Amino acid sequence: MAEPNKTDDSDGIFSELLSPSELFAARSRTRKLPVRGQKDFYPSGSEQQKQQLQNSLDEHWDLVSEERVERLGNLVRGIWNPSDQIVELQSPAGKFWQTMGFSANGKQCLQPEEALYLMECGNLQVFHRDLPLSIQEGYETFLSSSKLSLQQYQVFGHLKRLGYVVSRFHTSSVPSLYERQLNLPPPRDRGAIQLKRKRSPSPEATATVASSPSSARDEAAYRSHPSAQQPVSESSHPPADDVTGRSWWGDRLFPPEQQQEGGPSPGGSTSRRDFLSIQFPDLGARDSPGPLAPPDPSLLPGAMAVGVCSVSSWQRRLNMRKEKPSGREQRRREEEERARRSKGPDREVQGCRSWAEYRRLMERRRKWNSGSAMRPAHLWEKDVTPLHDPRQGTSTAELLEKISVVKTSRWADKACSVQAVGEWQISFNVHQPAVNTEFRKSSPGTPYSRMCVCSFDGPVPGLGELQHLSQQSGDVPVTMAVVDHGDISFYTFKHFLLPCDLPQ
Amino acid sequence: MDASPTAELTTTPGQYVGEPPQDGGGGDSTSRPPHPLIGIHLCGSTALLWRTADVRAAREAGVVGSLVGALPRQPRQNGRLGRPLQLGREELRLLLETRRASVRLPGDDLERSAPNSEGEVQQAQVECYEEEQRRSFEVQSILALEERKSALLRAMGGAKQGYHRNHTTDRGVSGHLEVLDQSFIFPRSAVAVQLSTARAGLSHCSDERTLLSSAQPGSSLRDPRSESRFQVFRDLRQRGYYITSAGKFGGDFLVYPGDPLRFHAHFIAVCVALDEQLPLVDVLAVARLGSNVKKTVLLCSPGPRAAPVHYTSLQWSGMV
Repeated sequence: MAEPNKTDDSDGIFSELLSPSELFAARSRTRKLPVRGQKDFYPSGSEQQKQQLQNSLDEHWDLVSEERVERLGNLVRGIWNPSDQIVELQSPAGKFWQTMGFSANGKQCLQPEEALYLMECGNLQVFHRDLPLSIQEGYETFLSSSKLSLQQYQVFGHLKRLGYVVSRFHTSSVPSLYERQLNLPPPRDRGAIQLKRKRSPSPEATATVASSPSSARDEAAYRSHPSAQQPVSESSHPPADDVTGRSWWGDRLFPPEQQQEGGPSPGGSTSRRDFLSIQFPDLGARDSPGPLAPPDPSLLPGAMAVGVCSVSSWQRRLNMRKEKPSGREQRRREEEERARRSKGPDREVQGCRSWAEYRRLMERRRKWNSGSAMRPAHLWEKDVTPLHDPRQGTSTAELLEKISVVKTSRWADKACSVQAVGEWQISFNVHQPAVNTEFRKSSPGTPYSRMCVCSFDGPVPGLGELQHLSQQSGDVPVTMAVVDHGDISFYTFKHFLLPCDLPQ
Repeated sequence: MDASPTAELTTTPGQYVGEPPQDGGGGDSTSRPPHPLIGIHLCGSTALLWRTADVRAAREAGVVGSLVGALPRQPRQNGRLGRPLQLGREELRLLLETRRASVRLPGDDLERSAPNSEGEVQQAQVECYEEEQRRSFEVQSILALEERKSALLRAMGGAKQGYHRNHTTDRGVSGHLEVLDQSFIFPRSAVAVQLSTARAGLSHCSDERTLLSSAQPGSSLRDPRSESRFQVFRDLRQRGYYITSAGKFGGDFLVYPGDPLRFHAHFIAVCVALDEQLPLVDVLAVARLGSNVKKTVLLCSPGPRAAPVHYTSLQWSGMV
C-alpha cells in the first residue's frame, strides 16, 4: 500500500505528492474496502478495546490518506474554460460520454459538476494554464460560480455514485401544460417526426383529384337521399380505414348551402387549392363507381404517368355491411331526423344578438324542460337553493360529494393558488441508472424525478413553493434533497386523497 | 406498553453525562506537543479540510466532521467517503477558538488575468511540472524494466526446478535478459500519474494567505440559536464526547461516548434555551423518536454567561 510521502510533519506543501517509485507501486495496490466490525456500546478502557480502536483508526487513515493514481492512458484530458464555466475535452471522451457532457462548437464539453465528479472518479485530468488541477482546486474553482453550490454538487455526486443519470434542469425543457394535453413530442424531436410522417406511404397519394362527371353524380346521389345512407357510426368503423374514408366524410362538415354560396371563387388566388371545389370520389357508395379515371396530367409532377386506378381492392376492405340498428334506436333516429327537419332554423336563437342572450334563452328552455312544476318556485327560484334535488343522485357517495361545502383540492392543481415566496429552484433531472434503461442524451425521456437541493438549516418549503416547483416540473415528481453536513436525505411531498369506502 | 403518553421529565443536570468516558480522546491538549495549524479552506461558506495531516489533527482534537468526497479506492459508492472533510459551524469555531486552526484563502489568480511577473512565475511552474513528469516517466520505465526482469527470472527459476542445473539454461536466461533490455519499451500511456487531492503546491501556493482566527466568516452575525448550539457543543466536547450532526434524528447533535468508528451514539442532543416555551407534542415526538433508535434524548440548555449547561433527559415512565 502506498503511503503518501510523509517526509516531514511540518507544513510542507509537497507532503502529499507521491514519488515516481510510489506512483509505480500504487499500480498494484488493493481495491478492496476494509470491513467495519461491530461497534461497542461503551468504552470500557480495556486493552482489547484500545487495540481495536487503534486498528480501526489505522485502517481509516490508510484509506483516507490514499491518493488517486491512474495510468495516463486511462485519463481523459480537459481544459478549464473560466469564461464559459465549462471544461473542454482535449482527448476523446470515455464511456461516461453516454450519460454526460455536451457538444458545443465541435468540441466535447463537460459541465463543471460532471468534470469534478469524473476527476473524483479518476477518469479525468483538468488543466488550467497548462497545470493540472487538484481535486481541491476543482472544488474551489468550479463551485465558486453562482450557478453551482457545494451543496448542489454534493447531491449531484451522491446520486451519480448511486448510478443515476443526473443532468441540469432547465425550465424550458419541460413541455407546457398545453403541449402535454396535446401529447406533443418534445421540441427537439418534432422535426424528425414530421419528416417521418411525410415519408410514410399514404393512401391519399393514390386518390384522384378530378371533377369527373361520375363523381359529381355520386355526390348528387348522396345528397338527394341522405337518410337512406346514414353514415356508418364511428365506433363500428375501424380507425385504420379512417384514413381512406376521411376525404369524403369530410364534406359533411360543410352544410350544402355554404357549399353552393361560397363555392369556388373563380377570381381567387390560384396558388392555394380550394378544397371546396375539389370533388372526391365516393368509394363507399352502394353502386360501385368502377375504376377511377387517371388524374389530369397537368397536375402531376414531371414525367409521372398514372393510369386508371382500380378501387375494387380497397372496397373489399371497406365495411360495406348495412347497418342494422335495433327497432328502438331506429325509431329514435327517425324522430330526431323529423324534428330536425321540421324545426328549420330556430327563430329565437337567430334573434339572439350576443352570447349572453343566447345563454339566457337556453337557461329558460332548460328550466321549462325540467318541469318547473316538480320544483316549487319558492325553493328553487331564489338565490339560495337546496343543496340537493331529491330526484337526482341517490347514492351515498354522490350525496356526500354534493353536500361537501369545502371541496378537496390538490395542491399541485392550478386551481388553488397560494402565493409562492422564496427562491426554491429545481436543480437536476434524475434518470434511472443507465444500465437498466436505454438512456440517450439526445432524447432522455421523462426523468424519474427532479431534485430540489436545500439545507437542514433552511426553512421548509411552504405550500405555495411546493406548488410552484411542481408546476415547473410538470408531471415528474419533485424530490427535496436535504443536505446536513454532507449527509443527504431525500424527501417528497405527495398529495394524499383520503380513501372513501362508500359505494359509488 | 410504553405507548401511553405519560413521559416523565427527569431534570437531573449531568446525570447521564456526569462522568466523562474513560477514553478521553483528547479533550484538552495543553500537554500535547504543539501541532502545526490545521489549514481550513473555504468552499463558498463551507469549511473543508483537504490534507490527511489536517484531518488527523482535527480528529485528535476531537473534531470528527464528515468526509464528503469520493473515496479514491472505490469512488463509485456512498458507503465510505474520502477527503475533503467538511466541518460543521461549531467544529470550525471550536478549532479556531482553541487556536488549532486557521482559515486559508485560495489565491484568486485563477480568475485574474496575470500580470507579467506572475506570468513568469507561472511559466516556471509549468516547466517545473513538465520536468517532474519527464523524470517520473524515466524512473517508472526503469522500474517497469526491473519488474519485468525479475518476473522473467522467477518464471525461468520455476521452470528450472524440473531440470538439471546446467549452463545452457543460465545462458538462456542472460540471453533473454539482454533481449528484454533492448526491446523493452515502456509506453507513455502506462505511466502512473497522481491526481492530487489537496492543492499540490505547484500552482497557486504562493498566493495562499493565512487569516487570523478572529477574521473567521460570520463571527459578527451570530444569532442566539447558533450561540447556544456552540455552548452545548463545547461543553460536550470538554466532557470528552465525540459529536456529529443529528439532522436525520431530528436533533442538533449525535453524542458518542468514544470515537464514532468504534462506538454507537448514546444521546441525541437537542438545544433548547432555558426560558424557551416548548410544546409538549414536540417533546413527546422527539422522545418517541429517540426510543425508536435506542438513544436517549437530551434537552441541552446553556446557562447564562459561562454557567454550566443543563442537561435534561426524557424517559418513558413505564406506567400504563
